Amino acid sequence: MKSFKTVLLAGFACLALSGTAMAQSVTVYTAGPGSLIEKLAAGFKDESGIDVNVFQATTGKVMARLEAESSNPMADVVVSASWKTATSFAKKDMLLDYTSANAKNVPDFLKGPGYVAQGISALAIAWNPKSGTPKPEDWTDLTKPEYKDLITMPDPAQSGSAYELVAALTSQPDLGWKLFDGLAANKMIVPGANAQALNPVLQGAKAVVFGAVDYIGLAQAAKGESIEVVFPKSGTVIAPRPMMILKTSAHQDEAKKFIDYVLSDAGQALVAKTQLMPARSDVKADRPLIADLKILEVDPKTDRKAVLDHFAKTFGME
Amino acid sequence: MVSAENSTLQTGSPVIATGVSQRFGSNTVLKTIDLRVAPGEVVALLGPSGCGKTTLLRLLAGLSRPTTGSIHIGDQLVADARGGAFVPPERRSIGMVFQDYALWPHMTVAQNVGFPLEMQGIGRAERDSRIAEALGLVGLGHLADRQPGTLSGGQQQRVALARAIVSRPRLVLFDEPLSNLDRELRESLVVDIASLLRKLGMTAVYVTHDHGEAFAIADRVAILHSGNILQIDAPEQLVGNPSSPIVVDFLKLGLVLPAEVSNGDLVIRGGMHRLSPPAGLVNGSRTGDLFLPRSALVASGTGGGVASGNAISGTVVHSMFRGDGYAVQMRFDHDIALEMFSTTRLGEGTIHDLDISWDRAFWYPHEDVQTHPTHNS
Amino acid sequence: MRLKHLTARVFGNGGMIFAAVAPVLAVLVAFPLLFVILQAVFPDIARGIFANPFSRFVETLFDKHLFHWTLNTLMLGGSVVLVSALVAVPLGVLRGLFRIPFAGLWDVVFLVPFTIPPYIAALGWIMALQPRGYLEQITGINFGGFLFSFWGVVFVMTLNVFPVVYFAVSRMVASIGGRYLEAARVAGCPPMRSFWRITLPLTTPAIAASLLLVFAMAIEEFGTPAALAARSGFLVLVTGIEQRLSDYPIDLPGASLLSVILVLIAMVAFMVQNRIVSRRDFQTVSGKPGAMRPAELGAWRIPVVVFFAVIGFLSAAMPILSVVLTASTRTISGGLAADNFSTDNFAEIFANSGGAMEALGTSLLLGLGAALITGILGTMTAYVVVRQRTVSSRILDFLTLMPNTIPGVVVAVGLILAWNQPWLPITPYNTIGILVLAYCCLLLPYPVRYANAALRQVSVSLEDAARVAGAGGIKVFFRILMPLIFPSILAAMLLVFAVAARELVATILLAPIGTKTVALFIWRQFEQGSVGMGMAMSVMAIAITMTIPVAVAIWARKQGRLF
Repeated sequence: MKSFKTVLLAGFACLALSGTAMAQSVTVYTAGPGSLIEKLAAGFKDESGIDVNVFQATTGKVMARLEAESSNPMADVVVSASWKTATSFAKKDMLLDYTSANAKNVPDFLKGPGYVAQGISALAIAWNPKSGTPKPEDWTDLTKPEYKDLITMPDPAQSGSAYELVAALTSQPDLGWKLFDGLAANKMIVPGANAQALNPVLQGAKAVVFGAVDYIGLAQAAKGESIEVVFPKSGTVIAPRPMMILKTSAHQDEAKKFIDYVLSDAGQALVAKTQLMPARSDVKADRPLIADLKILEVDPKTDRKAVLDHFAKTFGME
Repeated sequence: MVSAENSTLQTGSPVIATGVSQRFGSNTVLKTIDLRVAPGEVVALLGPSGCGKTTLLRLLAGLSRPTTGSIHIGDQLVADARGGAFVPPERRSIGMVFQDYALWPHMTVAQNVGFPLEMQGIGRAERDSRIAEALGLVGLGHLADRQPGTLSGGQQQRVALARAIVSRPRLVLFDEPLSNLDRELRESLVVDIASLLRKLGMTAVYVTHDHGEAFAIADRVAILHSGNILQIDAPEQLVGNPSSPIVVDFLKLGLVLPAEVSNGDLVIRGGMHRLSPPAGLVNGSRTGDLFLPRSALVASGTGGGVASGNAISGTVVHSMFRGDGYAVQMRFDHDIALEMFSTTRLGEGTIHDLDISWDRAFWYPHEDVQTHPTHNS
Repeated sequence: MRLKHLTARVFGNGGMIFAAVAPVLAVLVAFPLLFVILQAVFPDIARGIFANPFSRFVETLFDKHLFHWTLNTLMLGGSVVLVSALVAVPLGVLRGLFRIPFAGLWDVVFLVPFTIPPYIAALGWIMALQPRGYLEQITGINFGGFLFSFWGVVFVMTLNVFPVVYFAVSRMVASIGGRYLEAARVAGCPPMRSFWRITLPLTTPAIAASLLLVFAMAIEEFGTPAALAARSGFLVLVTGIEQRLSDYPIDLPGASLLSVILVLIAMVAFMVQNRIVSRRDFQTVSGKPGAMRPAELGAWRIPVVVFFAVIGFLSAAMPILSVVLTASTRTISGGLAADNFSTDNFAEIFANSGGAMEALGTSLLLGLGAALITGILGTMTAYVVVRQRTVSSRILDFLTLMPNTIPGVVVAVGLILAWNQPWLPITPYNTIGILVLAYCCLLLPYPVRYANAALRQVSVSLEDAARVAGAGGIKVFFRILMPLIFPSILAAMLLVFAVAARELVATILLAPIGTKTVALFIWRQFEQGSVGMGMAMSVMAIAITMTIPVAVAIWARKQGRLF
């Protein structure tokens, strides 16, 4: 038995050794998209010779790992899909105050002390043209009887941008909760996170996603799926994806170089290629950009829990 | 400390258990017991179920630990409750045959038998020859490659026997090895085991509840009752001079009648019947048990129950033909039953007088002070 | 030597094993779970601060949904247990007692559900049964109404987990053999009654143990209820846990605390199981070996085969078919039109064969490693539990069940909290070793439960005989006990292998940087919107994962035993 334990311990020892000490590298925790970070890592390595170690998951999982690791942090750079992570990390003094020279053309509302947007997504309506329904133009169209039983929406309790959409729309004086009451009357379903909301529309079980993440829908359309992304006339919310360097980083120079690279022409071109809006206003993309959209603001003082509770109650999700 | 692990002993070792007892919680299974087994001797532990015989055997095997006392096998102290010494079974160099055979179903016969040798680190070649030898000794040489599941019960128990002796252990333990077999197999196997043990000169302790088996196999038989050894003697001695009515009762040696002494006569308890023993049998005691061995009872004819002081009468319950005569079940007062032998069939329900040969009778006085049974010869 | 004596004295028989197994379990299971509990109590434990104990209790425990969700969790767990028993016990008993045509095939087929990740299976069902799903495209009917309901969740979850019961019961019944049943028949008991009076009670330990596993899995599973029933408003405790970890700000203390509630629920189930099992201990593998011969089915051959085939079709073929269809169509919205079929998705996997093959290799290795370690460790634990019956062995027993009752993501958080402590001299964290630890921790319950049920049936005299024959505790264990209960252990190890080779929830959080596993590969495809490519990878992963059970089944057939 002794030998069994020795082998086990020896095994751990080997593994522990192999895992540590990688020279000239930067560790990035990112909430995706996965294809983007892969390309960014490869491009950065070509340019600087620095390895990028990637941990990729959803925002929630990235934050869970960061939080669980907080006694012994591992990440150098964090890329989140939720702007609020950046502002609150900055408030907690967790971020290295660094402003990249390449951030010059990033609009002010997309950067702060220690954080800057990588790219931006917006929420939209994703509509299946083969569904036999008229093309919706605005959020309120979806309360019409043509869409009864044919709408899905990502769960605002699981998707930060969906929450912001609910918060923004319900604070519109002319809409309030009336819009969502209408959607509930139209039997909109809330089947889970973004992917679960989109899938039934692709197969045709439903016709339209209320609040789809735009770049995913655009990418699906580019692949040949029968899907069209509609940006509602009355406006929508955007979700800038912040990048930040943790103060605890042991590779701050490499981390800064990485941020510089993402904001470089080459880096921003890669961002544009994934159908996200580039952070830099001077980089072109083959899709509607921030300037083309009407953007709804969310009052930061909104009571998140109250909104989520009201939403859950409206859609019978208690 | 002598290590016997690697030496193959030609004769068995002595076994000495001193002051051994075992308690499980408040339940005393084995009271303080002393047992000495001479080298090469076969001792049977005989008693009804629950008497502690299997407990004692497991203590010898090292499958459990004594609450008090010590055990030596050969020169080795294998268990000592006070000092804390304990040698686990695998280092006691013993063999054991289990009631349920305990053959490992995933191994062949040869692998089962060879296992103890393998554990001693004996090489393949020697192992094979010794497996063959052991299987030859139990007459199963041809079944070496079979799975135990395909063998009959008797064959399985022979394999278990071969496994127990293959390493020439200094002590072999038997835990009711034949109780799962039918009578005929039992009788032939008991002879085989006895002669095998004598041939190999092994020390053995043999647990059984069947006195026929014990008498057939053992040099000495220990009678256990409620955790005590009542008597340990050669079979002849045991039958000829039982130490207590319990021994008599367990061995079914004859009639035991509780009685009171009254004016030199014996009044059988609860009855009016008076017997007149010769002076000196009861020896001044006031109550006790009268033991009348079968040989002390001679049928004198059918009587009307008119009893004299030298006869008792019993009712025939059942007569069974046994080939050379009749086994007759007789019932006496207080539902005391005895199996007698008769050359003729006795009708059921008939009453017979039995004359008592007082010179063969025993008297076990009831006094608190332990006195020896008196016997008037 | 003295130490050996000491441990033997302290722990009694099996003390050596206890002494060997207890520290390993402490490191493997107790250490990370301790941190889950610490996290529940001390909100700032992740920073190493023991401040504000219990400060999150009120907020979490007085959540108005909590009671409702707990009830739903119990209802779901209970229903899955019930339906699993109804499906798997008859299958297992038939398999154990009778000569079933294609028996080896069924064993392999019933292992397939384990190789399909639950989120893929749920998605497969959705794509097959929802309105305009594959079934409607082919036959014109859909079962969306049923699928997206409570009973739809129970249906899909049962098909995912019933093999746990099937394998446990079939192995147990086979080892008991038909002789007790025959004895009952001879005693004048008609076949059905003999089954109820003899076979079923004798199999109780295996049924109870495997249903306990099913219960633990059902209350812990997130993907299936979320994908199927959340839309109809059916939410469970895990929903609450997942919500706390799905968006910023995340709430580790709340998630941990809700997990502790799951553990408490499981503890009650564990005690119920223990009561059931402790009253029925049957040693049916005695030292009197008998030949085992499965009975003939006679006229029942056809219906029985149909029964096996229907369950096999529903649990294995149906989801895989849906997965294969998705993988081989160009777009989902294109449906099953002839011009929409293509091998593009597979071609892309092969184009990226480096990454895909690397992921497959890593997953297979992880699966094998986890199966081996949990197989040995689980059997040793079960041995201590069955033979010692002390309070400490009971604790050990429950300890091995606990990880199975906590959502994988919370166990993963516990593992990070535990193994990323700066004071540890060496740590497997950020190496592939942490995944081995995680899988062993999460999957240890399978071998423990299976071995426990099997060991209860092995007569003690078989061990005594080996000890007297000169074998020490460890040798007895490996030479006598392990082989005797091997069919059960092997079945459990195959389950562990299948699950470990596709585990996602803990992997996603724990995977060391740069490590690719099959599940991560598939998840990234989905995350990028390539459902088809993710499905294509699933198909290949299932096919490759199944080669090992198939090889084992063929080998076992040659050996003439059940695998």
